[in-house]
Amino acid sequence: MRMFATIAKLLVKRVLTAIPILLLVSALLFCILRILPVDPAAMSLPPNATVQEVEAMRTEMGLNLPLYQQYGIWLNKLFHGDIGRSIHFRQDVTSLIGSTLPATIELAVIAMMVATVFGLAGGLFLFYVRGTRAEAVMDFVSILLLSLPEFLWSLFLLLIFGVFFEVLPFTGRLSPGFERPLVTGFLLFDSLITGNIPTLLNALQHMILPCLALGIALSPSLMRVLRSSLLDAYQDDYIQQARLRGLSEKRILIRHGLKNAILPTLSLMGVQFGFLFGGTLLVEIIYSYPGMGNLMVDAIRNADLPIIQGAGLTYCVAVLVISIVVDSLYLILNPKLRVR
Amino acid sequence: MQQHAKGRPLPLWLKSGRVQTGLVIIFILVVCAIFAPYLAPNDPNEQNLLSILTPPVWADGGDAMFPLGTDSLGRCVLSRLIFGARVALTVAFTASIGAMIVGAFFAHVAGYFGGWVDWMIGRIVEIWLSFPPVILSLILMVGLGTGLRNVVLAIILVDWTRFCRVLRSEVIVLRRRDYVSAAQLIGFSHWRTITREILPGTLPLLITLMSLEMGVAIIVEAILSFVGMSVGSETAAWGQMIADARQNIYEAPFNLIAPIFAIFFAVFGFNILGDGLRRTLDTRLTQTERT
Amino acid sequence: MAILPTKNPILSAQNLCVESVGAKESFPVLTDLNFSLEPGKILGLVGESGAGKSMIGRTISQYLPKGFAVTKGTLAFDGEDLVSMLPERRRNLLGRDIAFIPQEPLSGLNPVLTVGQQIKEHLLRIGLASGENWRERALKEFESVHLPHGAALLEKYPHQLSGGMCQRILIAMAFASRPRLLIADEPTTALDVTIQARIVKLIAEMQKRDGTAVIFITHDLRLASQISDEIMVLYAGRPAERGPAKQLFSSPAHPYTRCLQLANPTITGPRRGLFILPERMPGLRVLKELKGCRFASRCPNAIEACTRAEPPLADIGPNHIAACIRTEKTPDIVPPPLAPGREIASARIHLNGEKLTKAYTTAWSPFAKRSSFKAVNSVDFSLGEGEFVGIVGESGSGKSSLARLVVGLDTPTDGRITLAGRDITANGNADRAYRREYIQMVFQDPQSALNPRRRIGSIVTQANEASGLHNSTRERMDRAAELLKEIGLPPDAAMRFPSQLSGGQKQRVNIARALCTLPRILVADEIVSGLDVSVQAQLLDLLLKLRDEHGFSMLFISHDLSVVRYLCDRVMVMYRGEVVESGRTETVFADPKHAYTRSLLAAVPPDDVNAEWSPVLAEAGYQVE
Ligand SMILES: Nc1ncnc2c1ncn2[C@@H]1O[C@H](COP(=O)(O)OP(=O)(O)OP(=O)(O)O)[C@@H](O)[C@H]1O
Ligand code: SF4
Ligand SMILES: [Mg+2]
Repeated sequence: MRMFATIAKLLVKRVLTAIPILLLVSALLFCILRILPVDPAAMSLPPNATVQEVEAMRTEMGLNLPLYQQYGIWLNKLFHGDIGRSIHFRQDVTSLIGSTLPATIELAVIAMMVATVFGLAGGLFLFYVRGTRAEAVMDFVSILLLSLPEFLWSLFLLLIFGVFFEVLPFTGRLSPGFERPLVTGFLLFDSLITGNIPTLLNALQHMILPCLALGIALSPSLMRVLRSSLLDAYQDDYIQQARLRGLSEKRILIRHGLKNAILPTLSLMGVQFGFLFGGTLLVEIIYSYPGMGNLMVDAIRNADLPIIQGAGLTYCVAVLVISIVVDSLYLILNPKLRVR
Repeated sequence: MQQHAKGRPLPLWLKSGRVQTGLVIIFILVVCAIFAPYLAPNDPNEQNLLSILTPPVWADGGDAMFPLGTDSLGRCVLSRLIFGARVALTVAFTASIGAMIVGAFFAHVAGYFGGWVDWMIGRIVEIWLSFPPVILSLILMVGLGTGLRNVVLAIILVDWTRFCRVLRSEVIVLRRRDYVSAAQLIGFSHWRTITREILPGTLPLLITLMSLEMGVAIIVEAILSFVGMSVGSETAAWGQMIADARQNIYEAPFNLIAPIFAIFFAVFGFNILGDGLRRTLDTRLTQTERT
Repeated sequence: MAILPTKNPILSAQNLCVESVGAKESFPVLTDLNFSLEPGKILGLVGESGAGKSMIGRTISQYLPKGFAVTKGTLAFDGEDLVSMLPERRRNLLGRDIAFIPQEPLSGLNPVLTVGQQIKEHLLRIGLASGENWRERALKEFESVHLPHGAALLEKYPHQLSGGMCQRILIAMAFASRPRLLIADEPTTALDVTIQARIVKLIAEMQKRDGTAVIFITHDLRLASQISDEIMVLYAGRPAERGPAKQLFSSPAHPYTRCLQLANPTITGPRRGLFILPERMPGLRVLKELKGCRFASRCPNAIEACTRAEPPLADIGPNHIAACIRTEKTPDIVPPPLAPGREIASARIHLNGEKLTKAYTTAWSPFAKRSSFKAVNSVDFSLGEGEFVGIVGESGSGKSSLARLVVGLDTPTDGRITLAGRDITANGNADRAYRREYIQMVFQDPQSALNPRRRIGSIVTQANEASGLHNSTRERMDRAAELLKEIGLPPDAAMRFPSQLSGGQKQRVNIARALCTLPRILVADEIVSGLDVSVQAQLLDLLLKLRDEHGFSMLFISHDLSVVRYLCDRVMVMYRGEVVESGRTETVFADPKHAYTRSLLAAVPPDDVNAEWSPVLAEAGYQVE
């Protein structure tokens, strides 16, 4: 119960501090994009518009107001759920993001699971073989893996499994001809609750390569942190003391070593998973996966300001949510922070 | 005992196999970048529309004029790879030095002075970290416009926090050492204490981070040029080659493999160098990990 | 399990030899170890750092550091050889029949598990509890180690408890299975004096209850003689002397034992000089080449014959053996006369503090309210010219905080400091420059006080660098050479780095740096704690010698009352931020007025083995736990 209260307190505090951060982030986004050399007013009009028409449009869009006023107006609209209208797609940004975000979340969450599984297993293995020749080899391999970022992994896996062996699909979320249930937008979830097994299987097949690419790319750093935190923990007296009490090595590892070593690993995960969320962008492009990343890149290519701002902000919110979740988890596992 | 004699043995860090491997790889890349015009068999931008998408020499239909084949515009892949090293390394060195200077400055100020200065810097870093780096660099490139200088600037603006975060906690550890107090008692100014007592202690970590950051910078540049937000198309860059090759993935998969390998090779060089430096220079490493 | 009626030894070692068997070189770390320990007896293991005391404990558990192995002899637990035993069988003994108590109680418990979880795990493993009844059993064990509020304790995490409480919990766990052998490796070194004494008494009490045989490892000969039945003194991996505790302490046969004893200042009786053992214990690698007595290089009785062959461990009395060929000469070793007491007549007051208070607040944050607590509370003190004033008290009593106020690393929240007539309370830039001329500080931990990346020569002359005066390389080298000579280091040390010096040498460098500008006042914070007695004696001697030369005065902070008694003219006793008693050292030590001072003094083991040691004074208000 006390634990619940502390976590609730942390959540409230984190959400409260997230608000000023988001405000500053939005201001930053706004400013960066205002330096843009292109004129959004001209962009939203047909190319043969006259100077007067452009000028009228500028006034209408509020582009002639001082910067802080423009920001104020934008922020005000934001509070009312209106991030603006896409110049290029001629659609509300909110609905564009709403239709692409679930795909990205699905990708990110599964990739995080993959990364966690690979990271923990690899870290334990690295620790297990410590001091042997296998460790030297594995350590070298982990640096090799560390040198392949997610976008190279995506291409690499695509080449091998998609192009050479042709065993897995590598474009989009679903092969043509499959029925697409639409309840929440989360394809896997939707097809599961509507009982659409063929769609579910097909969607899963499409997820394998992107999720593997993202997850594997992230796992080496987790492996290495887990390994070195375990090594650190094993330097501590309580491990030796547990041995002298006659506990088995397995028990010492799981109950004493791992429980301590997981803490630094977890705090790294908080940061890394934030990075991972950004990494989805590239993976989406490479696998033509219809998520927010593709939307964002399309917007960038077309200098579609409202989308860039909206999607940018959404990415930040996602990172903040991840870090709050990881922090709560950290609090649950670390009594030093929880009880004083 | 360390003696002042000629023929001193190699410093510990240079003896490490990892450091040597890293240095050799980086040396190869630097040679490629500097002597690109002499090493490249062809002009990287010359289009040979008669021989497009030729496979590498060793495959059927390979052409000795284009050892690694040509792309969809008939440009020599090998020459583009070699010239691409120029962009990659320029970005790697300048961006990581810039990010290091900015990050290290704030880290030392925050960690040394503590209090509200530290709090402010901590919050700024937090704001930065709430942007996924890829997204922030893309947005910055939209704002700044393409071009080599802006790529470097964007990477500095994104990645200074990597240095700041890690170095700050190291500075705080060193700040609590009694020798820092001793220096203050003896009458060292803040500036002198930071540069003479703290900086030498953070230097190993700083160098290690820089080496890793060079790898990161290469990746970010590749990503940016992959989505067409880096240098203009007239300059050969590895990311661009990947983007081009992706269009002809079935006809010429090797065109994709070549730049992937180049990026991997370069990043690996910097990573293995960084890891070797970390092992030999980082005083906090446990003995078990070092051996 | 009741006390075994037989007289069979519970643990016996025969010609035990432990070696480091590296790829390049191998050398022994323990040699010629012979002893047998009967049930219910306590064997004290004494020796300087690196003598191999802990290695014996590790050999018993067979968790030797990598590259170490038993190469000769046997080590039998209840007749069974521990070395050749199957690991599973040995593990079965650990925690049940053989228990260990660690040196650092706080790190001996897992920080992420509650005390209850850890004791439950242990009780379930040794089969003393099953299912939910572990709780009652745990409470019973807590009761026997005098831990009140056991039920609440079960829910606590180690970081919520004090070191003394953690150590009690570890003792409760160790004795839960009524072990037949207990190994306690410096179980009290990390604790405050008064708690130290209680823990030692507790171990003795539990040991009596269960008839457990105990190996009590300590560097403190006086403490060992108080609680052990038998003592073994180790020197560089080999026993120097072994005998009944009282006999060994009152008439040591080996010169090393005698020197150790005389190197430690006394707590009662007339003050005497300290015997200064030169240099330090030779490294184990060097020993391999050594033919004769391993103590010969430092032994005051050494003659040519000593260097020819290793002296055997010969009988010199009932159950008493020593590795020395001239044991009859040992009583001839006497301490040097005490330096003549200097009269500090009408000492001019140098430094004066009035109602000094320092409140520390939590880190700055615009959201959280900053809480504060008073580390130093309304302290008055003064320091005269040439005077050494000791500050004693337990950890957390505010000694170091006071030192930081005096040197100007912190600014007092209240009160006044004057230095040679000038008010320096505000601690502004001018005050600092003024203070710098007068006061310098010697820090506690030489590891942290010396920048590992500077050479010794540069460290000791750092003050020149700050002032810019005499800052040429030549001048600095000259000054460094002078300073190193004064503190007794070879001139070539100037080019070395701190990591290339021993602990005692580092502390000398630490002193030299403070002396560089010839300050009038030194503030020394625990500068001899954690060092071996022989090194401690060398440093105390050095401080007195330097005072004779330079005439500085000193605020000397220490938790070791014997040292303060030896060194200081006056003493202040601090408790929870306040000075509870102060006065001339002899007066305070001979006739303590305050209850806290009395309990501090009572906690020190007496110099006389036959004196009754009753460390636990039940005086109200000063029960720390
Ligand atoms: N893990 C290790 N690796 C290498 N050498 C070690 C290790 N542990 C101890 N030694 C060496 O073994 C010798 C005996 O060490 P040991 O720890 O037993 O001494 P000690 O008497 O317990 O000293 P202290 O009073 O400092 O605890 C020393 O020379 C030490 O350097
Ligand atoms: S044998 Fe000689 S050197 Fe060794 S302790 Fe005895 S007198 Fe000293
Ligand atoms: Mg020890």
